Amino acid sequence: MALEAYRHVLRSARIAFQGDTRLLSAAKVEARLNFNNNRSLPADSDEAQQKIIEAQEVARILRQNVVQGERVTGAGKEEQRYQLRIHDETERGDNESIKKGTNLASAGGACCGGAT
Amino acid sequence: MIRTALFQSARCASRSVTRTQLPASRAIAPCFSVPSTRYTPTLRYPGIRCYSAPAGLSKTEVEGRIMDILKNFDKVKDASKLSNTSHFSNDLGLDSLDTVEVVMAIEEEFSIEIPDKEADGILSIDKAVNYIIGQPDAH
Repeated sequence: MALEAYRHVLRSARIAFQGDTRLLSAAKVEARLNFNNNRSLPADSDEAQQKIIEAQEVARILRQNVVQGERVTGAGKEEQRYQLRIHDETERGDNESIKKGTNLASAGGACCGGAT
Repeated sequence: MIRTALFQSARCASRSVTRTQLPASRAIAPCFSVPSTRYTPTLRYPGIRCYSAPAGLSKTEVEGRIMDILKNFDKVKDASKLSNTSHFSNDLGLDSLDTVEVVMAIEEEFSIEIPDKEADGILSIDKAVNYIIGQPDAH
């Protein structure tokens, strides 16, 4: 159960930080550390289950809501552009909220608070 | 008059179509007697691709690559215990999280994805080798 979660976290990290060795190894170390810290919890305790669910959530967020950006080289000083790597599993909203929002303040909030 | 001219040119055109296709059949049957100099090189068929049956991985190769992964895995303390049948936790002193990491490294090495159920069952080198050999996608 926990091993499965650990595997999912590692897999998601591999997708999220593809090609970024520094961040990928840091993510692995962090995952390892957190799993090790809770090693002593009995497997059937509520707390352990809670932690496993948390780990699965982390895996999901890494997979769906983290997008890598790389600065486009050769762009002028004024224009600093980033190329985003949006992959198959990145969560894409349908922008449903933008259609009904007429209140400017709330529309702005939705835009910046949106995860993707 | 014009009708016969049309007819002739049509026949000529159809012949030229079959001609351009000829080199392909030549590649299949090399003894075909039409001299190749009659065709412009650009129309030449580049050759027949041979899709052979997958060669698969040999057991020794798979074993070697898995051993290399474990040799480079810094948590294996006693490399002398490394053998074809080493058990990850009993022989090599890896804990369950290390085992997951090893299996992930094996996945990466052979560019496959091992489903959770199977991955949980891979606890020793020979099991990993057998699993990889059984995977046609592994390379």
